[in-house]
Amino acid sequence: MSSWLDYTINGLIVGNVYALVAVGLALIFGVSRLINFAQGSIYLVGAYIGWVAVVQLHTPLPLTIIVVAAAAAAVGLIIERFGLRPLQNSVRIAPLLATIGISFVLDQLVMLTFSPNPRALPSQLPDVRFQLGGGTIGPLDLLIAGVGITSALLLFVFLRYSKLGWAVRAASQDRDAAMQMGVDVNRVNQAVFGIAAALGGVSGMLVGMYYNQIDTAMSLQATLKGVVAEVVGGAGNVPGAVIGSLLLGLVESYGVAVFGTSYRNLFAFLLLVVVLVLRPNGLFVSARQAPPEPLTGTFIAPSRPVRIPRWALAVAAAGFAVLPFFPVSFYVLQTLINAWLLGMLALSLTLVAGTIGQVSLGHAALLAIGAYTSALLSLTSAVPVGLAIIGGGLMSAALGTLLISPSFRLRGHYVSIATLAIGEIVSLVILNWESVTRGPIGISGIPPLSLFGYDLISPSSVYWFSLAVMLVLALLQGRLLTSHLGRSFRAIRDDDIAARAYGLSLNRYKSLAFIFGGFAAGVSGGIAAHLYSYINHETFNTQQSILALTVVILGGLGNVVGAIVGSVALVGLPEVFRIAAEYRILIYGIVLLLLVRFRPQGLLGTI
Amino acid sequence: MSNIDRRTLVRGSLATMVAGAAFSRAALAQSSEPILLGVSGPLTGPNAQYGAQWKQGFDLALDEIHAAGGINGRKLAYQFEDSQSDPRQSVAIAQKFVSDPRIVLELGDFSSPASMAASPIYQRGGLVQFGFTNSHPDFTKGGDFMWSTSVSQADEQPLLASYAVRRLGLKKLAVLHLNTDWGRTSRDHFVKAAKEYGAEVAVTEGYIAEERDFRSTLVRVRDANPDGLILISYYSDGALIARQARQVGLKQTICAASSVYSPKFLELGGEAVEDVHLGTRYFPQDPRPEVKKFIAGFKAKYNGQEPDAFNAYSYDAVHMAAAVVKIGGTDRRAIRDAFAKVKDVSSVIFGQATFDVESRRVKGAMNAELVVRKGQFALWDGKPT
Repeated sequence: MSSWLDYTINGLIVGNVYALVAVGLALIFGVSRLINFAQGSIYLVGAYIGWVAVVQLHTPLPLTIIVVAAAAAAVGLIIERFGLRPLQNSVRIAPLLATIGISFVLDQLVMLTFSPNPRALPSQLPDVRFQLGGGTIGPLDLLIAGVGITSALLLFVFLRYSKLGWAVRAASQDRDAAMQMGVDVNRVNQAVFGIAAALGGVSGMLVGMYYNQIDTAMSLQATLKGVVAEVVGGAGNVPGAVIGSLLLGLVESYGVAVFGTSYRNLFAFLLLVVVLVLRPNGLFVSARQAPPEPLTGTFIAPSRPVRIPRWALAVAAAGFAVLPFFPVSFYVLQTLINAWLLGMLALSLTLVAGTIGQVSLGHAALLAIGAYTSALLSLTSAVPVGLAIIGGGLMSAALGTLLISPSFRLRGHYVSIATLAIGEIVSLVILNWESVTRGPIGISGIPPLSLFGYDLISPSSVYWFSLAVMLVLALLQGRLLTSHLGRSFRAIRDDDIAARAYGLSLNRYKSLAFIFGGFAAGVSGGIAAHLYSYINHETFNTQQSILALTVVILGGLGNVVGAIVGSVALVGLPEVFRIAAEYRILIYGIVLLLLVRFRPQGLLGTI
Repeated sequence: MSNIDRRTLVRGSLATMVAGAAFSRAALAQSSEPILLGVSGPLTGPNAQYGAQWKQGFDLALDEIHAAGGINGRKLAYQFEDSQSDPRQSVAIAQKFVSDPRIVLELGDFSSPASMAASPIYQRGGLVQFGFTNSHPDFTKGGDFMWSTSVSQADEQPLLASYAVRRLGLKKLAVLHLNTDWGRTSRDHFVKAAKEYGAEVAVTEGYIAEERDFRSTLVRVRDANPDGLILISYYSDGALIARQARQVGLKQTICAASSVYSPKFLELGGEAVEDVHLGTRYFPQDPRPEVKKFIAGFKAKYNGQEPDAFNAYSYDAVHMAAAVVKIGGTDRRAIRDAFAKVKDVSSVIFGQATFDVESRRVKGAMNAELVVRKGQFALWDGKPT
């Protein structure tokens, strides 16, 4: 019994830590309807500024907090002014992508400045411990709880009773109307970003002190957990974010108690999916409030796609098909093979995200399902590789659609968050379901690609194989888009209420899109498994999902040719920047930001 | 594999060796360009810290090799390509290295998915993939071009189990391990050995690499009532667990795998890692000359910084590569054959490293039983803590 008390206390302590990030995210979401993926990076910057202050300058704690808050706020203001304000009239998805780009840039800058080695960030509080249950808590636990709860309360009061707070709320409800009433929306945004960033920076520092450890990998994890907690509490709801965080901590702690440590994150993400399905607006949003997402298609704005004549596409395809006859190095071919594999994934995602409007952030899970299915079929059941890959595609289509179906009733950002969670769940199931997936040891000795009994081993044959598969999938998808099915998909994306009024069954069409998309992604994963010969739960990770989404947005949502062009660009650019060694991801982030800034509808435009 | 045996037996006669050496020396002398090693590893991304540590070890080893006159008068250099430990990038890098005739040998990658995805390309391209941190039991099964100096966990874990059970007298153990291919393999070997030595394993808990909070895990550990905690961890997570174990009031003896051996473990763990026991391959006061040279050289080159396990692996790897190239010259197949021929290469980790031709790994890692005393790694004096 006393153990349960300890699990509860531990859950609350960790929830406390999550709350610091979640409050900042909730504040920004409340005003600009934006999930700020750069919040984790500000948290990282805050931790390192704290390190400079404590270890180099020996500042006392109150001064450290002020320095970190001021510096982080400055970073937040810069992000708002130069990263996001220029995008305020463009599509919703552009700022989302911009925050991803900003987080790349910030993380890389910190890594280049401070080296990737973890550092110790000593706590400046006296080391006394208070007995609580079977364990102890220290002054830092209390300080973190104090900062979390106080800032949530202060923000709540500020939003409810101060004049600027009114302006913030007005701007969050209706930007244009607020502007009409004389609210300086830019100033409101600035204030919000400054406050959220200051809070993010201080939380990074406090958490760094709590663990006596800071490193550059902490940013993504902080964002992930913060987003989960925030959405559970009700996106945009500041006190809700605190309660959501505590709940998340408790669920994780009880999950560890009952099933063991390696199930911990599984419970975090399951909680998120359950909450999203049962209460899509979060636990603490009252029904009277206006829905946080606009009802119709402002998330993805229509634009005029660039028309590329068919003969040009045919020439390009033929050009790539004859490429291996020219004296190009295997390195170039291998890079293009990677691009074709990513292209298949992007085709899948551009269909579900672009054409039918379900922006998925967990698409790598479909790769993983296809890869594991194909690898296991060919290894344990001796199915020929060609058939195994098709089996992988079918399994991905079936399982992927099944997993995603509970979130069909969600809209906009919530779909992204739900798919993010489903992606994590799939990867954790692969890790823990050892009897089938061999757990962390992974699957090795996967046979190489072969077709009708002939092994495809040389780079040229793999190149042709993957190019051909991708082209077939692209042609099918192009055909699909021009059929009545494609028009129905777009109708659902642009206005789901109108589409329903016309008698379209949303769930059925969404399922169809995921079945087709799941197949393409599963085939890509299957080919990758046979190409690599070894896969484990880390092979298809969240970064892949984010990369795929970047490709799709870069190419133009729903745009088949755009997805392929985007894949070649995003596989190619980091290779081209190889010469810049450590700086290449930084350059990549900056290029991404510039693209979002000047071409938010993507290179080839939305179809 | 029989292939290599035949080569070593039939062609390994003295006359051929001399002729071969003379030939390769002549070939080497023709060029003043440095001999190039390809390195595929993480310089950015979540594992970037390990790539940075590799570089330090590589650079120190190269300094020493050049000070000793290089390889038959020629310099050795490496080309480091950042893979982010991502299999998609490591396969492209593999093609790049295989098609670059200047590369004679490849080192890396860091993680198993990235390394083993690239293995088929190296195997078919006929370029040795020297995975000096690849402990995955299947890594060298990728083909006869895959060689590794990573300490096999089948060797290391029984040593740790012996330290914990036989020497420290622990009878009931809780094992916390990273839930990766390395952590799982290690755990299995450890549990098997510990049971053989007569200890009971009360609970094992696997955690993912990004985990930072272990309080709830430690409640499970406490409820299993062990008399010792075994950490199969890297230094950063090892330090976190030790700190939180002490904070929640667990006072049991902690015994950790050699991968926590790093000055960072002391820095990050602070007082909590005092009295932590660990088995290592070398230690600061080690009397072996190769270790003294390594530590002194490292401190001189990097402003007094203490080297850690990954520095030592990469330092050893370049010395091994140099020894192999000295025998094999710059021909890629000859280099593969040379891995079977090198004998007793001076090594921080192994003392003298010689490959086992069957497994293409090195057996017999050095072992030292250390304990953290007054914030420093020290040889354990046999006194209970």
